[in-house]
Amino acid sequence: MNSEHIHLLLNHLPTIGFGIGLALFVVALLAKQSELQKAALVIFFLAAAVTIITYVSGNDAREVLKKAPGISDPLIEAHESAALVALLFMELTGFFSWIGLWIWGRQARFARWNAGIILILATLAFVLMSRAAYFGGAIRHPETEAAQAIPLDPSVPTLARAWGLFVQDNSWVWPACETLHFIGLCLLFGTVLIVNLRMMGIGKTMLSFTALRQLLPLGMLGFTINLVTGMMFFVATPEQYTGYLFLLKMALIVAGALNLLYFMLSKAPGVVRDGDAAGIGTKLIAVSAIVIWMAVVFCGHMLPWLGNSF
Amino acid sequence: MDFLLRIEESGFSQWVRGADSLFAFPGILLLHTLGMGLVVGINATFDLRILGFAPAVRLRAFKKFFPVMWIGFWINAITGTILLAVNATKLTRNPDFYVKLAFIALAVINVQLLRRSAFVTPAANDETAPSARMKLLAVTSLIFWIGAITSGRLLAYVGRSTGVF
Repeated sequence: MNSEHIHLLLNHLPTIGFGIGLALFVVALLAKQSELQKAALVIFFLAAAVTIITYVSGNDAREVLKKAPGISDPLIEAHESAALVALLFMELTGFFSWIGLWIWGRQARFARWNAGIILILATLAFVLMSRAAYFGGAIRHPETEAAQAIPLDPSVPTLARAWGLFVQDNSWVWPACETLHFIGLCLLFGTVLIVNLRMMGIGKTMLSFTALRQLLPLGMLGFTINLVTGMMFFVATPEQYTGYLFLLKMALIVAGALNLLYFMLSKAPGVVRDGDAAGIGTKLIAVSAIVIWMAVVFCGHMLPWLGNSF
Repeated sequence: MDFLLRIEESGFSQWVRGADSLFAFPGILLLHTLGMGLVVGINATFDLRILGFAPAVRLRAFKKFFPVMWIGFWINAITGTILLAVNATKLTRNPDFYVKLAFIALAVINVQLLRRSAFVTPAANDETAPSARMKLLAVTSLIFWIGAITSGRLLAYVGRSTGVF
């Protein structure tokens, strides 16, 4: 298996998987089934995480296809930009879904507003993702009428190219994003360390899980800063981020998302009060969270030495 | 200058710079990044808590996380010294390097002052809101760490040392 296959394996999840989530969410809203709604939020959040891998693996697929005959590069670029817009809405849906999970059972009025926002974002994300998938399908099936109906003008830079040119033409953008990427890393680490070290026993007499829960948005803020700044690097110079190391980094981020969901959804950490020791399962998951996020830093940091950056 | 050159050209420095091993330059720089995550991560969370974020987290609980922060600090003091040694002549001529050191010194003094107000002063406890002085120190702490990170990152651009990093 080469890394192109990863794109082929994962590219139905943002459309079909996410579509199932959207259907579930709509049914849940109409039927006023709150547990079903929660399940849909979990699907949105996980789909947003996995879609990051889908997006970046497209880059590897492109490298492979460059050597294949009869493949239209302008069409790949159109697919890339369609996917970029779709990714933006997918991540926004995931972000608000996470907020929905975080305030679950509290702040009913805000939760209703939030559900409305999620419904709009998820619908847009689904439509845009279907469009991206349509462009993507045409790459391998140029003989179809659908493929020929896609308007392409290679003289106009696509969104992704325009984005890349912006980063390359303004020399301050790259170092500014790098600095922000480090600041985001610190914010994420602060939350990851305090929450998980507490679960391992540090400062347990003074910290309940209910208190720790209040820290989670700070970690999410750090992650969001790093997703945005990371995309600045990736979209500007995608050729630097091909290969397994970067895909591993993205896969570890999905593992980090699953880890976070355990703490937010499972009963076991939720009942940990002041002075309580967490169960052995929770402790192991807490250790894994710290290992996962350090491994994410490892993969990013080693790109120039083990990957093909710079 | 001769002294700096001798450090820079020592066998150890040459190994760190040139060895084709992840434990040399890449590994030392990785530890420097992770150490930053420990120090600034916990310190920034502490600062934000003082400023009113996550009020259910007891301020005194942070006392237990200070040792973690100091582990990060010493990792960075050691790896930072190595990174300085391997690039001694260039870094010591780079004004940005002294800006970074100054920010770190200010941040460390700042966190000591804040620690005293939060944990040592008898009046400080979780029932009383943090004083205006503590809030001011929390703001300056965030500024100093952002300054340290920014000037540190810019070392790769201002008076370039080795490669991109």
